[in-house]
Amino acid sequence: MFESHSVSTDHKDLIHDVAFDHYGRRMATCSSDQFIKVWEMDSDNSIDGGWKLSATWKAHSGSVWKVTWAHPEFGQVLASCSFDRTAAVWEEIVSEQNIYSQTGQKHWAKRTTLVDSRMSVMDIKFAPKSLGLLLATCSVDGIIRIYEAPDVMNLAQWTLQQEVPCKHQASCISWNPSYTRPEVPMLAVGSDEAAAAGSSRVVVLHYSSYVRRWHKLENVPSVADPVHDISFAPRLGRSYDILAIATRDIRLFSICQLVGSAGTSRFEVTPFATLEDHNSTVWRVSWNSVGNVLVSSGDDGSVRIWRLSKQTSWKCVGTIKSDGRRLLLPEVMNAASLTLAKH
Amino acid sequence: MSKTIFIAQEGPANALALNRDYSRVVIAGRNVFKIFAIEEEEFVEACNLRVGKNLNLNFSCNDVAWNSVEDHILATAATNGAVVVWNLNRPSRSKQEHVFVEHNRTVNKVSFNPVDPSCLISGSQDGTMRTFDLRTKVATNIFYSNTESVRDVQFNPHAHFLFASVSENGNVQTWDMRKPDKCVLQFAAHSGPIFACDWHPESLWLATASRDKTIKVWDMATAKPALEQTINTIASVGRVRWRPSHKFHIASVALVVDCSVNVWDIRRPFIPYVVFTNHKDVATGIAWRGDPNVCLTTSRDCTLYQHVFKDAVYPAAQVNPQALAVSPQGHIAFASKVPTTLSTKDSKSQGILRRNTPSANEEFSQVTSSLNFLSCSANKEMNWLIHSAQRYILTGKPFSEICDHNASVAHSIGRFAVGMMWSIIKTLYNGDDAEEATQFKSGQAGSVKQHQLPKIKEEANPTSGSSSSDMVVPVTQPTLNGLKTNGHTVPNEADRRYHRRPNVGSGDAQESVGDFFFGDAEMDPLSMEFEINHLDGLISQDWTLLPEAFELRQDIQDRSSPPEQFSESDSVDTMEEMTRVSEKWKGLSVADPPLPKIWNEKNCLVEALKQHAANGDVQTAVCILIALPAARRQLLLDLIDEHDQEVWLLAYISLLNQHELFTHTNEIVKLAWIPEVNQLNRQTTYIKISCNQCNKPIPAGSRLCTHCNQSITCSICHQAVTGAYVWCQGCLHGGHLLHIQAWLSENTSCPTGCGHQCEFT
Repeated sequence: MFESHSVSTDHKDLIHDVAFDHYGRRMATCSSDQFIKVWEMDSDNSIDGGWKLSATWKAHSGSVWKVTWAHPEFGQVLASCSFDRTAAVWEEIVSEQNIYSQTGQKHWAKRTTLVDSRMSVMDIKFAPKSLGLLLATCSVDGIIRIYEAPDVMNLAQWTLQQEVPCKHQASCISWNPSYTRPEVPMLAVGSDEAAAAGSSRVVVLHYSSYVRRWHKLENVPSVADPVHDISFAPRLGRSYDILAIATRDIRLFSICQLVGSAGTSRFEVTPFATLEDHNSTVWRVSWNSVGNVLVSSGDDGSVRIWRLSKQTSWKCVGTIKSDGRRLLLPEVMNAASLTLAKH
Repeated sequence: MSKTIFIAQEGPANALALNRDYSRVVIAGRNVFKIFAIEEEEFVEACNLRVGKNLNLNFSCNDVAWNSVEDHILATAATNGAVVVWNLNRPSRSKQEHVFVEHNRTVNKVSFNPVDPSCLISGSQDGTMRTFDLRTKVATNIFYSNTESVRDVQFNPHAHFLFASVSENGNVQTWDMRKPDKCVLQFAAHSGPIFACDWHPESLWLATASRDKTIKVWDMATAKPALEQTINTIASVGRVRWRPSHKFHIASVALVVDCSVNVWDIRRPFIPYVVFTNHKDVATGIAWRGDPNVCLTTSRDCTLYQHVFKDAVYPAAQVNPQALAVSPQGHIAFASKVPTTLSTKDSKSQGILRRNTPSANEEFSQVTSSLNFLSCSANKEMNWLIHSAQRYILTGKPFSEICDHNASVAHSIGRFAVGMMWSIIKTLYNGDDAEEATQFKSGQAGSVKQHQLPKIKEEANPTSGSSSSDMVVPVTQPTLNGLKTNGHTVPNEADRRYHRRPNVGSGDAQESVGDFFFGDAEMDPLSMEFEINHLDGLISQDWTLLPEAFELRQDIQDRSSPPEQFSESDSVDTMEEMTRVSEKWKGLSVADPPLPKIWNEKNCLVEALKQHAANGDVQTAVCILIALPAARRQLLLDLIDEHDQEVWLLAYISLLNQHELFTHTNEIVKLAWIPEVNQLNRQTTYIKISCNQCNKPIPAGSRLCTHCNQSITCSICHQAVTGAYVWCQGCLHGGHLLHIQAWLSENTSCPTGCGHQCEFT
């Protein structure tokens, strides 16, 4: 099923994030070496898994923690956040003089630097397109900031819409990607603070359009261990949302939004499943675009693929082990393909 | 074992210095000048040097140095340009020994020569350095740096007659004490002011700290200093200090922004090895307490801290070592930390620092990530989505044909369940436009469900287009007949069951009739209409027949119960008729026998659609709903939450969009049954057309100019253009695409003869 290709990134330190653009044709990586690199799919190129380096630049003066793509409707736009306490918005521009030539010089220009945080900015994410051009950041001081570009043509101007202080240092943030009226937008934030006894490390915010403020959900079940990654599943036809949380294991919460008659929403957040196969700290979780397959990676060095089976239980349908340098192709993958075929 | 301890002062200190045996520390600032004894648990004030009658600017210190040989001698750099020597052994309250007033501007730095306790050097804002002899109390030499200001001077610990100075123009100079007229060498080290430098205690390395947010390490052993490493920090660097007995470690504090004290491993110049986060404001001075695990810092927050490594933060241990992303196509990109054992093997060839023996901190320094791209060559689900989206037909053909086509599409890619779904839909709803036929057919399907479930599967599987259609429409007529006749002949229910099988069978047997009526291949809308009318006639005839069969009341009740139920369960548009019929039946049925429970196909279908959607397959749900005839669809939609419908549509649209199937996206937007969704393709782009004759705007959707009452005509054939219209941006003339293309292949000027050299791009 899977073919593994090693991509030589030439990053000089840890790679902290990799992000595909909306179409999966481009890939951005960011690293502690303070560089962002953009890769382009090049099917002619069999080396590096078909990825060709398109741009590389020193983006920050500290480790770049996360990089994220805006919807292509807004242009080729990236946002990054860093240990240097800033977040930045980048746009790829084609040099004016060559605009008609096929080989127009492209480069990434910094459009804005968001300097509101006084601590390291740990995560940054663009809101789903239907909400407009919005950015959410979270930082070590536990403050979630929501920025808006009121004019989508002007990426240099961002207004700080709201700051939501949370108790603990934040580590990760995720928008609910499937927002449709009359439901309200949601945003989940995880904290990796080690010493936060008894209190929840997962905060879910929802937007109240009446007062135009973000509010915290009260009834989020608590997570006992540091949260390293958090991700809303694309919902498609499901009647509830699933939130995947990477902590000592993988937690899945279901969030059911009951829209009342008066436009008020009630939320029911319930623990849904706990996936323990990693048997070690889980660092990342990511959903496929349909939201029925979860991919996770952990300290055991493996990538696991999970799928909902029989409506109730999540099953690990594939494990890709890694010896650190290369991923070893799985023997169990046939089982995964079988499950895929059955669907 | 030392502990993290601190003491607060009334004012911030600019510098600190430790005595020879690290037992006492002096801190000096504008308003503070004190000596503390470092105890196990706390700092104990040993001496306050800021005493005396007139506390002039001589007491206001930029820097302080403790003589490394004579433990009672201190020197300070005063903000007024004086260099002050202090003798702790003086019997009087004031310990001030001597004041050298040589510099014109503030003194930034004082240093004792490490081997000659009587030699003191100072660096000043006036751009000069001076040496003093403490025995004779005279300024021995002056060194002109030819820069605006000297920020730091440090004696070379390996050659005590050499010293380095750094200045605000970004230059580093080394001097020989014996040659004050000219520096030994000078080089530009930074792009901004250099605030501090520090000689490595073992190697001939000099570290420089600059406002350009970098710390640079220079190898001074060669004639031309070589840049060993650059550490990028997040803020201007104010002070640097090498960590004792750890070759690659250096501590730094920032001048602004960053309140923490960072200890870097220069082999990993991006993440500090250790961070002390105790200070609330930027730190101003660092000193190692002999022990490499203890260091002291002063800060602008007026505190003096002793930091120990066991209380430190190790940021590298907390950073996220992995990255993971799933592309819309299902590919996975995964980056993870390369284990140290692997990395050391092949990093030997690179790495400028490798020639030195690796220390115990090797593990920290050698960190890289490997990025792996897992291309998912056979991601069935995504291929299904794309394949189906490209090949499904949703409109423009008769319903049965659409179903057959889509079923075969689904089968061809191995989605048998979805293929069967299409087949079942067709079985249920084909000929739906003839509403009554549908009524009947759903009954038919009901009976199939009751008796012949295996059969439907058999039929659904091959899906060779026309052959399976016989199941549906053609059956209607013969079975109608069959029902009628059976109704007259078969008295009780058991028998009826028995006879029903042949009914269906007979339908199959007469498939030639069905094909004659509804042969998929030849069917076109016109003939379809005709058939519908025909069937309508048939059925209404049938309805009128029923009341006539009065004398066989019992039988009729039994026989005709299926039509009645269908009308109930199906509640199709012919409400009038149904009520009429049921009214009639009210009169007729005196003793209704319990009606057999009829399978409600709508609920099942809706459940199935919901199931597909819930499993992430909104495609099937949306496509089936779109393909259904409008009236039938509405019946199903009544059972589905309106919000869910919109969610399905939007989800499918965004999925298609993500896979760059833009034309298919647009098709769905156009065909969608929810007006809000239809409007999606009007939100972003629209084109205003103006008349090319009178320049007045033409209303949207029209091709007729309301002003001059002319439609858009082709410049070549002078006929109205209904399809693609192409025009020259320059002269506004144009016409049919093919005409213009043909014209321009031979000509370059406008076909109207307006003389414009047209350009069509």
